[in-house]
Amino acid sequence: MSDAASSPPAGSWLRTLPLRLRVMARHAPTAFAGALIVGGFALLALLAPLISPHDPMQANPYDVLKPPSGQFWFGTDGAGMDVFSRIIHGSRLAFGIAVPAVAVAMLIGVPLGLFAGYRGGMPDEVLLRAMDALRIFPSIILALALVAATGKSLGNIIIVIGLVDAPIFARLVRAEVLSLRHSGFVESAVAAGNTRWRILFIHILPNAMRGALAQSAVRLAWSIRVSATLAFVGVGVQPPTPEWGAMIRQGAEQMVTGEWWVALFPGLALVLLVLGFNLLGDAVQDWLDPRRRTGVR
Amino acid sequence: MSDDAAASSAPAPGSAPPRRRILPALGPPVRFLLRRLAMVTPILFGVLLFTFVLVRLGGQDPVVRLAGPTASVQQIEEVRAELGLDKPILMQFVIYVTKVAQGDLGRSWLNNRPVLADLRQRLPATLELLFLGVGLGALIGVPVGLTAAFGSGRAFDQISRIVSLFGFSIPTYWLGLIMIFVFFALLGLAPAPMGRISLMAVEPPTVTGSYVIDSALARDPEALWSALGQLVLPVLCLAIVAAAPIIKQTRAIALDVLATDYVRFARASGLPRRDLRRIVLRNSLVPVITFIGAELAGLVGTSSLIELVFAWGGAGQYGLTAILEGDFTAVQGYVLYVTTFSLAIFIVVDLLVFLLEPRSRAS
Repeated sequence: MSDAASSPPAGSWLRTLPLRLRVMARHAPTAFAGALIVGGFALLALLAPLISPHDPMQANPYDVLKPPSGQFWFGTDGAGMDVFSRIIHGSRLAFGIAVPAVAVAMLIGVPLGLFAGYRGGMPDEVLLRAMDALRIFPSIILALALVAATGKSLGNIIIVIGLVDAPIFARLVRAEVLSLRHSGFVESAVAAGNTRWRILFIHILPNAMRGALAQSAVRLAWSIRVSATLAFVGVGVQPPTPEWGAMIRQGAEQMVTGEWWVALFPGLALVLLVLGFNLLGDAVQDWLDPRRRTGVR
Repeated sequence: MSDDAAASSAPAPGSAPPRRRILPALGPPVRFLLRRLAMVTPILFGVLLFTFVLVRLGGQDPVVRLAGPTASVQQIEEVRAELGLDKPILMQFVIYVTKVAQGDLGRSWLNNRPVLADLRQRLPATLELLFLGVGLGALIGVPVGLTAAFGSGRAFDQISRIVSLFGFSIPTYWLGLIMIFVFFALLGLAPAPMGRISLMAVEPPTVTGSYVIDSALARDPEALWSALGQLVLPVLCLAIVAAAPIIKQTRAIALDVLATDYVRFARASGLPRRDLRRIVLRNSLVPVITFIGAELAGLVGTSSLIELVFAWGGAGQYGLTAILEGDFTAVQGYVLYVTTFSLAIFIVVDLLVFLLEPRSRAS
């Protein structure tokens, strides 16, 4: 936190990046692995049309359920579509749903937590009770029911995942605001005659975002899992759109008959990307909470 | 519900509490239980209202589907009136709540069977899977988490951390499919993933609803063996997913306890390792139990997915199917069951905490 005060020029950040990465690899191997995985998938998503050897939505009746080979690295599915190309394109949807969903969750949760924590009293009480009620209910079922009720469009899926995830951000921000509300710098800002909005957004918000930002990697991991789960159950993204959960669903029946590649590879991609975000999130949380720092001697 | 959150975030400061006999405390727990039960009704009411509005205002109109593609407008309206859906939504809700209060969850709109009977019939299957899975997960997770905390920073800690992160990242249903492929399709070790008992075996007479217990009661080794065999993969699958958060949380809780002054004092006084561990274990117990309770309630959704993959035929699969089919009364019944189950778990956990933690009785 101390180097933020001296704020180095923007150019030096890029110049020292290789060095920083090397330091990171040595001192925080898990965070480095996480960053590597997430970065790799982000690259795949960006370059998907260039990398993928086949059209991800091209059904081919002559190449149905071909096992992995030189031509089809991860085999083909029941419609004869190339699993490898579909996984690469699927990473676009993984990011394309999770990133906006977490943004929605923050946009709803952060202001809620901010106001509830600062105002206290009745609004705070109502928010807490509502979040308790939500906590009782399994979030996956809630997301499923909401998407089933509102329709399977991509926009709905994003909003529902964000909505279900918002209470976590509200809770985190609220906790930070509670501890900041009576701190010296806020009191002096009040005494200096700042408006309430200015105090909330200029003075408190930047300091209250720490916990929420630290959680965002873990929430991204969760959102990717949920969007895949929705598609697996059949209310999320629909085939033939390349989405990992939908691909696992397509391969589910083939699992019993022995064509393992249809469901195995999209699942592996899912595990890997979610693991990458979880590694990152775990490292950030450790870094922010010195008590949990371990292995650093 | 805020009480258990407070309990989990405050891992036992102060000195190691002396052993307490539980029996003399039986008076206050009853009062405590009654206070908790009084909170249940408003929560259930709120959840019912929420799902009711959500489900009724959702995009799909079930009547058109139920009446069939050839139905005339008049027939559609007849079906609507028959289901009571022509009344104002508030009126519908009042009627529904009155019926629920009388123990009638209505009939499924798709197959016209009573929802309560369907749920009751499927519930033992779900509970069997859930309790065995989370129980096994806790049996793995708690010792691993404790061991990791005692040797924090060492190899075992690092390995268990990576393993539990994997557990966090694996989609349950995919893990189930992989298990089916490896143990059924490839090795032929596991039975076909279709239901709770082999088609060859005779279902035991229903006593508790759990095939394992019932077949044991009926002294039917064949059915017992078959029921146990069907259980192995789904339970293992749930246990792996359940163990990961338990490992992480137990480790964090034990580390907090290890950092307290009384443990450091005990360590400085030269207490043997075994005694030290006992103190840490005793003081970690309450937050760990609270967390496992929350896990049990939270994994209802995950176990539904496992039920789907293994064609388990429990209440979870029933609920998922109802959601997918837009079977509104069944969805409401399922939501009611999930909420009641979660509340029951939280109350039992609160009661356990109340009995195990003298300090929590002060408030």
